[in-house]
Order: sequence, then C-alpha cells, then structure tokens
Amino acid sequence: MPFNRKPQKFNASIREVEIGVGEKAIKIGGENVFPFYTFDGDLGNTPKVGVEISDLGLDNPVPGISAYYEGCTTAAEMAKKAAEMEGADFLALSLEGGDPNGANKSVDELIAVVKEVAEAVDLPLVVEGSKNVEKDSELLPKVAEALQGKNVLILSAKEENYKAIGAAAGLAYNQKVGAESAVDINLAKQLNVVTTQLGVKPESIVMNVGTATAGYGYEYVVSTMDRIKAAALSQSDATLQMPIITPVSAETWGVKESISEEADAPEWGSREERAIAMEIETAAADLMAGSNAVILRHPQSVATIAKMIKELA
Amino acid sequence: MSKFIVIGERISVTAPSINRAFAEKDPEPILARAKQQLEAGAYYLDVNIGPAESNGEELMQWAVKLLQGEFDNVPLALDTANMKAIEAGIAVYNRAKGKPIVNSADASGRIEYVDLAAANDAIVIALCNGDGIAKDNDERMAYCQTLLERGMEHGMEPTDLWFDPLFLVTKGMQDKQMDILECIKMISDMGLNSTGGLSNNSNGMPKHIRPIMDSAMVAMAMMQGLTSAIVNPNDLRLMETIKSCDVIKNNTLYADSYLEL
Repeated sequence: MPFNRKPQKFNASIREVEIGVGEKAIKIGGENVFPFYTFDGDLGNTPKVGVEISDLGLDNPVPGISAYYEGCTTAAEMAKKAAEMEGADFLALSLEGGDPNGANKSVDELIAVVKEVAEAVDLPLVVEGSKNVEKDSELLPKVAEALQGKNVLILSAKEENYKAIGAAAGLAYNQKVGAESAVDINLAKQLNVVTTQLGVKPESIVMNVGTATAGYGYEYVVSTMDRIKAAALSQSDATLQMPIITPVSAETWGVKESISEEADAPEWGSREERAIAMEIETAAADLMAGSNAVILRHPQSVATIAKMIKELA
Repeated sequence: MSKFIVIGERISVTAPSINRAFAEKDPEPILARAKQQLEAGAYYLDVNIGPAESNGEELMQWAVKLLQGEFDNVPLALDTANMKAIEAGIAVYNRAKGKPIVNSADASGRIEYVDLAAANDAIVIALCNGDGIAKDNDERMAYCQTLLERGMEHGMEPTDLWFDPLFLVTKGMQDKQMDILECIKMISDMGLNSTGGLSNNSNGMPKHIRPIMDSAMVAMAMMQGLTSAIVNPNDLRLMETIKSCDVIKNNTLYADSYLEL
C-alpha cells in the first residue's frame, strides 16, 4: 500500500497577540498546528526570542556576558546593547530589585528605570516583576500606567494578584497581561478563565505556564505544554488558546550547573559553557513543547535559538 | 475525545408560545429561547417547525436566517417532516460553526433523509428504528447497519451519521433501559457518533424527579460512549452532570470554574 500523507487538521488555532508598537512590534501565536509541525499546516508567527536584563545590572556574570555589556553603567545602556543582540526580537526587563527580601527598591525608583529603558529602545518590551506577590500587586499596575501606549507585556498576574494586575494592565492601560502558573495545567486554564471574566480580552492574554531547567523535573513542563496545546487545538478549548511565553533564563541561571565555578567543579569544565548549554537545551525543549516565545540572557544562547527557529520554521 | 455536544430542544412547535411565534413569524419568543439555551451551554439548537406542509420552505429559511443572524452563525438541527423545508433551510445555512444536522432519518419510511443529508454535506440523526420500535439490540444494530450503508453509498463520512438508539420511557419500559445503554456501547465501539432525545426516559415522572433521572441517564450513557444528546440545556442539574462527565472522560481540561464555561 502506498504511503498516504494525511495532515493533522484542526478547526481551532492559537490566538495571535501583538506586543510593542511601530515597525519592531512582534506577533506571537496564530498557529493551528503543533509546534514546528510545518508539514501539517500554518505555523502562524514564528516563535520569538527575548533578551533579559535586570534593574540590578549584572549579577555574578560569566565572561561572555560581562564582555557584551562592557562599559554599560545603567539599565538603559544595557537595554540599548541588548536590543542590538543578534537574534533578539524583544527585550525583557526584570525588576527583581523590587523584591522586599532582596534590594527592596521602591516602586518609584523602579518606575524610573522602566521609563528610562522604554525610552532607550524601540524593541517590544516585556516587564517582569519582582516575583513577590504583594510588591508586584503594587508595582506592576504602576508599570502598566507608566508605559501607556507602548503595548508592553506585563509578567505576571498570578492566582493571588491577577485582579489588581489584570485590571490595570489589561483593562485600564490596555497592555498585554501575562498569566502565570507554575507547571499546573488546571491552574493555567483557571487563570485564563478568571482573567477573562474580569473583562480582559482573550487576545490581550499571554500565558506563562512555567518551566523547569532541563533535568530538573522537566518532564512535567513538556506534558503541561503538550496538554495545553492539545486542548487548545484538538478540543477547541478557547480558554487555552492563548500563546505561551517562557522566561527560561530566570530558571536556568539558578541551577548548580550554571553557578558552580570551574575551580569548585573542575570535572565539569567551563562554567560559561555549562550555563549556555543549560539555557539552550531548556529553551529548545520549551519551544518544541509549545512556547511561542522564550526569554534568554547569553548572547550565544540568543543567537543559537534564533538560528534554530529560523531553520526549523 | 471531543466534548459532548448538547443540542438544545426548546425551539419546538410542541411549545405553544413557539408554535404561535412560528405561525405569526414573531422573532421575539424564538430568540429569547435561543439565547437562554446558548447561555446555558447548548452548542447546536434544534429548530422544530412541525410538519409545515404548506409554508415549510419559507418558514425554515426564515428561522435559519433569524437564528444564525442573531447568534453568530449558531449551528442548527433542522427538524421537520417536510424534506423540502430542510433542503431550503440548508440552502441559506452558514457552516462556519458546524454542518447542519438533518433531524431525522430512520431505516424505514424516513430513510431518504440520509440521502438528503448526503446530497447537502450535512449531518443526519439516524434513528435505529424501522416500522415500530425495535424489539432488541439485534434489530437496532441491523437498522444501524442499513442506515450506515445507505449513507456510505451516498458518499457520507460514517461520523456524519449520528445514531439515535431511541431512548424509551422508564415508566412502562423499565426493563429496556439497559438494552439502550448497551446499544450505545455497540455504536461507540464501531467508532460512530450517537445522540437522542434522552429525556424521554423520564417522561411522565413528576417535574422535580425528571432532572435527577435525566442526569443519571446521561452519566450512564456517556460512560457507554454517547457523544451528543437532544436535551433541555436549561436543566441545570443535567448540564452540571454533562460538564462533570466531560471532565472525567478527559474530553475537557478541568479548571475550578469549569461549571461556568
């Protein structure tokens, strides 16, 4: 019997979400096939790569990153450099300095950084909060207000603070809302449902369903993303048809393979090579499992993943 | 598996207000019931215009345009003994949200409804029934086979025939209920779709009992593989049961708000 190729067709598709304004604006989502199943149909918009910088500058950087940002003294200067990185589609600004258990910068102080960065670059902007639920409930609505008209993505609204952040970002200031769950499919769906019930338009929501670093319980990430895309496409579940963004670097740069210096673990070899490998492996796997955008730090990771997308899509 | 498909049964000439609305071409009562059913979770709406011998074609076209115009091309089941009226309805039907359903064919006098569905790329509800009610599942499945062959001869996809085992009234035919459930399993095992007027099982029971019996029946029938039913979606208990069964069957992903969806 001859082989009869039968494309897998779905009547549903992932929503297209636009971030940024002007020529550099990006669109993510829009596909009605599984990740990179170009043989089945339209991939929609190709996955996008973001470069992450922090309000705290460089923390314990590897030589390649230090060299890349050499001479930069402010977040705005770093942002300009990051925007020129080969393969960068958007910029992600982390406000980790706002964490009350860390530098505990004031909201006003952080908003000043946010404005400075937004003015320095014309790439689409994703703003990541301090990761502290209370602080973010106060901080992120202010970020949404300060960046009106820039169409930025605010990361993230969680189960505990989606009302404050969703209402400010998605309703009052017309930005895009990131709905964050931690590798929990049921919560990912629930957050989309309640955020939509707030009045936020589905096309203004991007999911951050969480990730782990490859090797750290990563199978759950794959099954979560797989199940979400399957529900969205094969079960036409409109509450899960939002594109997925995955902040990869925040996870991968924290594992021991990325932190341990070569002097402490000589049998592992170069710390920088290890850290890049962890970042690239995780990002590649996230994209294959269904992420529509990934956030990375190292120039080599950004260039490699951008090339991978270009060649596969 | 995909979600259980609820076909709302409340736009029917058996309801006096709807009968009058069709006779007078008064949109309000029809749109009001359509809205109630869609908000409660109906996917398809059944449009039963009765025998409509004299003006069926025009009446069905009016109803299809009215409902699809108001509710974003809501998919419809066209329900009448007047075949020309069904064909006329399909001629103005928008398929954006799903194929039209022809309601209904049987293996005897109404077998030509299968041909009608095939000729118009529609779904057809196929009653596993000939002359009179089938006496056992051998007979039901023979009718099923006849209808399936008829459809395939005319180029239909087997999944576009939705087989109706014919739900029987419990009061009086209590001993037949498990037969019906077994029949659903046989249809499901063949990879075929099924539907039916499920609430017939509780016909004649007190009003407060019916949602309980219907919910029990739909849960057992879904376990057997029933893929759709023609029901009153404004029966909250029934809809909650269907949504819960969809979660248990993994037809839909659970979220705490699943009953609100």
